[in-house]
Amino acid sequence: MKASARYLISTAFGLSLTLGVTAGAGAQVLFWSNQAAPIEETQAMREQVLAGFDGQVDFQTQEPGPFLTRLDAELEAGSGAIGVVGALHGELSNYTESWMDLSGLDLGVTVGPALLELGRLGTDELKYLPWMQASYVMAANVQALEYLPEGYDLDALTYDQLVEWMEILATETGSPKFGFPAGPQGLKHRFFQGFLLPSYAGSTVTKFRSAEAVAGWEMFRELWQHTNPASTNYGFMQEPLLSGDVWVAFDHVARLGDAFNQRPDDFLAFPAPAGPMGRGFMPVLAGIAIPQGAPNPEESQALAIYMMQPETQVATLRATNFFPTIDIDLPDDLPNSAQALGAAITTMTGSDDALPALLPIGLGDLGGQFNQVYVDAFERIILANQDIAQVLDDQANALRDVIDRAGAPCWAPDAPSEGPCPIE
Amino acid sequence: MSSAPVAANIEDRPRPVGDAGRAGQFVFVAAIILLCAWILVPLYLLFVNTLSSPAEVTGFPKSGLPSFSMGSVQFFLSFSGVGQALWNSLLVAVLTMVFSILLGAPAGYALSRFEFPGKEIFRLLVVMTRAFPLPLLALPLAVMFIRTGLDDTALGLALVHTVLALPFAVLITFSLFAGIPVELEEAAWTLGCNRLQAFIKVILPLVLPGIVASAVFAFTISWNEVFAASVLTIENRTLTAFLVQNLNVSPLHLKFAGGTALVLPALIFIFAVRKYLFAMWGIANR
Repeated sequence: MKASARYLISTAFGLSLTLGVTAGAGAQVLFWSNQAAPIEETQAMREQVLAGFDGQVDFQTQEPGPFLTRLDAELEAGSGAIGVVGALHGELSNYTESWMDLSGLDLGVTVGPALLELGRLGTDELKYLPWMQASYVMAANVQALEYLPEGYDLDALTYDQLVEWMEILATETGSPKFGFPAGPQGLKHRFFQGFLLPSYAGSTVTKFRSAEAVAGWEMFRELWQHTNPASTNYGFMQEPLLSGDVWVAFDHVARLGDAFNQRPDDFLAFPAPAGPMGRGFMPVLAGIAIPQGAPNPEESQALAIYMMQPETQVATLRATNFFPTIDIDLPDDLPNSAQALGAAITTMTGSDDALPALLPIGLGDLGGQFNQVYVDAFERIILANQDIAQVLDDQANALRDVIDRAGAPCWAPDAPSEGPCPIE
Repeated sequence: MSSAPVAANIEDRPRPVGDAGRAGQFVFVAAIILLCAWILVPLYLLFVNTLSSPAEVTGFPKSGLPSFSMGSVQFFLSFSGVGQALWNSLLVAVLTMVFSILLGAPAGYALSRFEFPGKEIFRLLVVMTRAFPLPLLALPLAVMFIRTGLDDTALGLALVHTVLALPFAVLITFSLFAGIPVELEEAAWTLGCNRLQAFIKVILPLVLPGIVASAVFAFTISWNEVFAASVLTIENRTLTAFLVQNLNVSPLHLKFAGGTALVLPALIFIFAVRKYLFAMWGIANR
């Protein structure tokens, strides 16, 4: 026994001696992304999207925590390994000063002017390239359609009609069939910020505690009666949809895609419902930026240009269910998820009452606390069943605190403000 | 409730000792079964789901038996970089093991054998290193590592993990040395050994199993650490940094496969060194 203990220790020493300080791999560009993080999407990005690039790319995905910490560290140190950053608009807007100007790049494609404007981040320079876009939609099992009341149009549904439909569904089938991603990994806060409050109050921040907002929460409380209670555990709605626990659900398109790809005939996608103020929806825009201290700027720029090419954009759509930002005709042989979800997004954004609500802008690293205000409101109102007006008053103070500390002016759909966005 | 009639029925004479022994044995066996199930049932479910097809993983009811569908496993084996990440994890964990013993064991020895000013404060400070959450420390550490060139190396990450493992190494070795009478050393001195010889010839053989066990502990701490690993390494990812971050947003069947990929090497390692772990508890009980 003693001998083997010595053996173990000496092996340990031997191992440590054989390791030198490992050097970086040279001309490889590090693509640091918090998008396409699910492992299958990461694999598809590497094998189908980036394989065609004329050079070496190391595509690494991370959760927001380590992702931002690493980025902060490299920007603070002024050098590092990251060549290209792929992240959401709101995250990129925290580092406006740190990005290289990309307006000189010859992309050879047409990017939507509204998206390019967002990419300037309020400056004269192009801070990031609009890489891919998505949104949130509703998905339903076709069985649920049999219970849809006569005369209701899925493409023009209102929240009240949705509640009625879900009530019928719950009574007729014996159990609640609506699903909502309220788990720890779920994107529930985006529903309140970009769908519920805009649809009811026409605002995300300013009218946070208005009577209209209260009405919206009342509707949601009613909808919750017909929601599968396991929803507080759901992160990606494609799983409960596939298992049949849930027949109708709301989620990010990238988190619904698997259901449409595995059983295309069983599911259909439709726009998010509308409220009294319109059909609030939140577009999601991811961008590509290059840090000023990037180790190999030419290679990074070449990669950024490559990511914007039509073939790459279509390949990205297949890999991630995020849609192109450039002006192209999509091929006919797209996966079912892209076809079904893409059509639902187009219907939603093109509807007469469409009311786009942007992702939070200018919150810096307070984005997490901003989201927490909405999550807390949800937990207190819906899960703890507390008085709506009282909760909104409390949470409005927390919200004001976050907005004031960030000094963030209002963003759409709230009217532009001088100074921090006010909460009435 | 109505205790009087019940009390009347109780026979007021001592029970045979065997009764109590049997009851005790029942509790003992039940506790063992419970403890084993505590560990084995999750592992079993992990392995079964790894070897099942995606439809079986999300489906219900479950058969509880693996169907040996290798899809999830194959996906993992083909996921580029898993092998390299596994190697990095091992390297960092072994380095952490070595550093924490080289630094921790002398500290433990000093604490157990010498009186010096600030000894109590030192013991407290050692534990204090665990008081600061890594997400807080990771940013300044990463900045410093980038500037000094330690960034993205197994060595740099092992240093951070050593800091995490050191309190345990110090405190475990402290109790090991404290458990060995100083008289043994003194006897060696009277027989002609100097301090170093007495330590190497008398003390070290006695504490070696325990030291190996605390090294194993350092190994597992390093193996399981995620946050620092994912911030401080880029190309030389450890397996946890490589997988855990992506896994919790991945479909269920891949979560299971990834869980297995993380658990299996650690299980094998613990199994290989299990007798040293038992040795540590034996010594600590003395």
